[in-house]
Amino acid sequence: MHAIDDIDYGTPRKVSDTMVTLQVDGSAVTVPAGSSILYAAQAAGRRIPKLCATDSLEAFGSCRLCLVEIQGRRGYPASCTTPVEEGMRVRTQTPRLADLRRGIMELYISDHPLDCLTCPANGHCELQDMAGAVGLREVRYGYDGANHLEVPKDESNPYFTFDPSKCIVCSRCVRACAEVQGTFALTIDGRGFASKVSPGQRESFMDSECVSCGACVQACPTATLMENSVYQMGQPDRAVVTTCAYCGVGCSFKAEVKGDQVVRMVPNKDGHANHGHSCVKGRFAFGYTTHPDRILKPMLRKSIDEPWKEVSWNDAIGYVAGEFKRIQAGHGSDSIGAITSSRCTNEETFLVQKLVRAAFGNNNVDTCARVCHSPTGYGLKTTLGTSAGTQAFDSVEKAGVIVVIGASPTDGHPVFASRMKRRLREGAKLIVVDPRAIDLVRTPPGIEAACHLQLQPGTNVALINSLAHVVVTEGLANEAFALERCEPADYQKWKAFVSQQTYAPEQVEQVTGVPAAQIRQAARLYATGGNAAIYYGLGVTEHSQGSTMVIGMANLAMVTGNLGREGVGVNPLRGQNNVQGACDMGSFPHELSGYRHISDAGVRGLFEKEWNVTLNPEPGLRIPNMFDAALDGSFKAIYIQGEDFAQSDPNTQHVESALRAMECVVVQDLFLNETAKFAHVFLPGSTFLEKDGTFTNAERRIQRVRKVMPPMAGLADWEITMAIANAMGYSMHYDHPSEIMDEIARLTPTLRGVSFEKLDRLGSIQWPCNDNAPEGTPTMHVGQFVRGKGKFTMTEYVATEERTSRKYPLILTTGRILSQYNVGAQTRRTGNVAWHQEDVLEIHAHDAEQRGIADDAKVSVASRAGNVVLTARISDRIQPGVVYTTFHHPVSGTNVITTDNSDWATNCPEYKVTAVEVSPVARHSEWQRQHRDFTARQQALLKERETIEA
Amino acid sequence: MPIESGEAIARIAKALKHKPGALLPILQEIQEQLGHIPSEAVPIVASELNLTRAEVHGVVSFYHDFRSEPPGRHVIRICQAESCQAMGSAVLTAFAKTHLGIDFHETTADAAFSLEPVYCLGNCACSPAMAVGKEVYGRMTPQRFQEVLQEVAGKSE
Amino acid sequence: MDVQRLVKMANDIASFFEAEPDTSKGARGAADHLKNFWDPRMRRQLLSYLDEQGGAGLKSIVLEALRQHRLEIAGQQPPDR
Repeated sequence: MHAIDDIDYGTPRKVSDTMVTLQVDGSAVTVPAGSSILYAAQAAGRRIPKLCATDSLEAFGSCRLCLVEIQGRRGYPASCTTPVEEGMRVRTQTPRLADLRRGIMELYISDHPLDCLTCPANGHCELQDMAGAVGLREVRYGYDGANHLEVPKDESNPYFTFDPSKCIVCSRCVRACAEVQGTFALTIDGRGFASKVSPGQRESFMDSECVSCGACVQACPTATLMENSVYQMGQPDRAVVTTCAYCGVGCSFKAEVKGDQVVRMVPNKDGHANHGHSCVKGRFAFGYTTHPDRILKPMLRKSIDEPWKEVSWNDAIGYVAGEFKRIQAGHGSDSIGAITSSRCTNEETFLVQKLVRAAFGNNNVDTCARVCHSPTGYGLKTTLGTSAGTQAFDSVEKAGVIVVIGASPTDGHPVFASRMKRRLREGAKLIVVDPRAIDLVRTPPGIEAACHLQLQPGTNVALINSLAHVVVTEGLANEAFALERCEPADYQKWKAFVSQQTYAPEQVEQVTGVPAAQIRQAARLYATGGNAAIYYGLGVTEHSQGSTMVIGMANLAMVTGNLGREGVGVNPLRGQNNVQGACDMGSFPHELSGYRHISDAGVRGLFEKEWNVTLNPEPGLRIPNMFDAALDGSFKAIYIQGEDFAQSDPNTQHVESALRAMECVVVQDLFLNETAKFAHVFLPGSTFLEKDGTFTNAERRIQRVRKVMPPMAGLADWEITMAIANAMGYSMHYDHPSEIMDEIARLTPTLRGVSFEKLDRLGSIQWPCNDNAPEGTPTMHVGQFVRGKGKFTMTEYVATEERTSRKYPLILTTGRILSQYNVGAQTRRTGNVAWHQEDVLEIHAHDAEQRGIADDAKVSVASRAGNVVLTARISDRIQPGVVYTTFHHPVSGTNVITTDNSDWATNCPEYKVTAVEVSPVARHSEWQRQHRDFTARQQALLKERETIEA
Repeated sequence: MPIESGEAIARIAKALKHKPGALLPILQEIQEQLGHIPSEAVPIVASELNLTRAEVHGVVSFYHDFRSEPPGRHVIRICQAESCQAMGSAVLTAFAKTHLGIDFHETTADAAFSLEPVYCLGNCACSPAMAVGKEVYGRMTPQRFQEVLQEVAGKSE
Repeated sequence: MDVQRLVKMANDIASFFEAEPDTSKGARGAADHLKNFWDPRMRRQLLSYLDEQGGAGLKSIVLEALRQHRLEIAGQQPPDR
């Protein structure tokens, strides 16, 4: 069912330069050409009864309830399928129409259970509303005829129930699955009276091709498809517009609430990133917010071998401040630092880096972007001048060629993937660069990549250089663009560089394993297929040459002129809800908000004046440097806001030793995560439902996060940071996060025009937003690059040091899955475990057979760094020589095997290339056994904690 | 489903997939060769044409002529269209169902007969009409129905 | 810190700037990178490694960067050390 406060226009809003004026029941209304009469009537405030129409779907014309009379035309056309015409005179309510509509409703109701009072849709049911609207008073056919009332429910999905007895076969669910989600998992089985909605081949939702996005549930006008939470809690009573806290798509939602409890999340039709769609995580997986595992009181302990002790907020904050000051006094001001969280709001992130720079007096602040998209920041800043993607998501609708490199949008960014799929089905061509056959390589119905360059992990740069080689040497370059928009000397130098024979496809084939002809075909398609847009993920960045590859992609876009307008660009698919924002806010040790280097005295001066401190002009430690410094004794304490690097960062044993070496580890989080097991202080954080603020998505779009319920532990994350600063003697005072945003805007030229008031008014803003662009900037680099002239930069391919050998003959690469989110701290505590209970190792049949490995067998995966045991799954998505896994479950210990190799420029870890050997085993690895014991001990220490009254 | 059937389905799908609107010809050919379209054929055809299983299933279940179960040795189709209805096909149909002990779209336990409705056999002048296999019979009565059944059963032995 | 890790990190940086045919420009690029992105304690440790152990294992471009741009790389001493 649509959101409780939505107006349904019946058919989608059309965009046209031509406006059409018509009369509806005597009132003039003007709408864009191509609109339906139903839409126009709603726009004029006239409600025409309807059932099969809803404005997220194209008109279908099956229910016949929205019939109207049009002057000068015979009959009673359906207003949903009839487009408006100039001067048309429409009547929506006449005695004849009333008769027809009542007759239709009689037929519907003759085969519908009359259990309205106990139905979960009671109070918010379109069928019930229509019965009311048409004045249904009797059903002349009676209720004894053939019917569907005994069809059993399908309760296989953890989040919604399918009750076919209530189905009116309007096909809205089937159409939503096709048009909105693009999965086509539903169909109408049979015909005539026997028609019924069928997932897959007359099977349950869970057994079908359904991805549980919930678009069908949202489209259903009755209780046929209904959230289980509504079954349990009844109808919500208010809606709060907020932003999803999962991936970087940044879907806008209406959190529908009863009291301070969320009943359901409904994607916001007016959301500029998602236009009313969502995935299984955003819509359904919010149960973690009230999960009993949440820790709701601050806790302390002197050593990680002691039980925890609950304390008051005052005592906890006082202890943290005391320890930080003591350690700084003994070991120097550089001996402590902090991590900002990409899951927290911009305002919270900004405060943590302010705490470090102003109260700690150093620049030891970093963020989890370090381990994901830091190379994006470096590469795009170097070449184009700004550390962000170039386009809005809407831009994909104008792309002729879509290039997906090192990303699996249907898993990681499903809502954007749906839009991408729609564009591909409209005829855009697809190039996939990935060692693994991601879904998009071939997705029913009809999507098939024009080229899948299935390269060896770690050879991205060789490949991108080769694509550039073909463009340059085959005369496909857009010379006019390159010479006018970019530094000409650098361009000439770069051209000579990529033209070298080393980067000819025939040579690069030896390195990447991609046939030369395919490389040439892809390069030609990219350069000549019209607007070409690159979308990429961590398969680009998480390499020893991550930054080089980002530069390489920008070079390729510049040489073909694919920048500075809609339909083109270089676009990172950001993993976390606010990883863009965390970077924008100055979370990196070397730069202040808006990507300005800490060594710039002018910029520092602005902050020094506002903050009333002197800032350290030298960059601080990055996350991996912090671990190294902890092990050598020069880094002793850390404040970690919402990050779990004991699970997420590579070479787990190294991270664990570093955490053990510190004197004061402060973790602010929702759960006792892997890192918190090494902590001395636990500060209970708040979820996105418990505070106000903003998130910035992958398209630089700033959107509001709004408080739905008070913080369960008493304080929002920004309030905790503020308390620590004040306790350390640095005064911070904000009454509301909007005041923090005002400070950010004062200090950051690219965000100067941003305020909560403007966000509330416009819905969202894409930065830069300032006097030049008061309502924001959807497309970057129009006319000229942010850095002035684009900078072509040479990108020599350097093979990673992580090589296969006789002992480690396979390459392990890692990725994500749709139902789980990153380390899984949230999604593992929701119904999403129904889809993914453990991480598995995908292995090619050839490699499996050589090693005597059967499907579902336990296997040891050993690298130079460590070994773990996983379940093998034989898969043809990968080539022989490559194996693949995910890292959503701590017990998998995927990062026990990843190495500490990293990107040369940013130290982003090389998660995507680890040489391993796989062999059959019977039991868990030593690390996994230790991890199990350690976890059990830490859980016991939590259970034994000394408690205090609230 | 026997392995050979799976192989035959894959072969048919591969051979016909390049025809425009290939789904219907493929389904028709499968039914021609196997006598019906087993549910196991759906994923094979779907994968070959890059369609979802739901889409293929929707088409198979939409057309009455596609059967998901193997038919009986003889398929009896009784006309339900206007002319035949006017001449008593309802009575004939009721008798046929009782006599055979099955409903429409079902097959007798001995796999001898399947019963299907049909909408016009082009034999309106001789309503009510029915067909057994490709043979059409007119002016049907319950009595005639039993005779025809005996006749075809005798022929097939 | 483990100086061998610093050596590896510095060499990784060098391998990017080796693409520059003019080695003094390459060394300039590497030096700027160290200065802009490394914590001063890491830079100083690398300099000490050069001074005390001759910088064994460092790529020539790193050696040149450290020698040519020593003062910038050393940076400002923190006030409390």
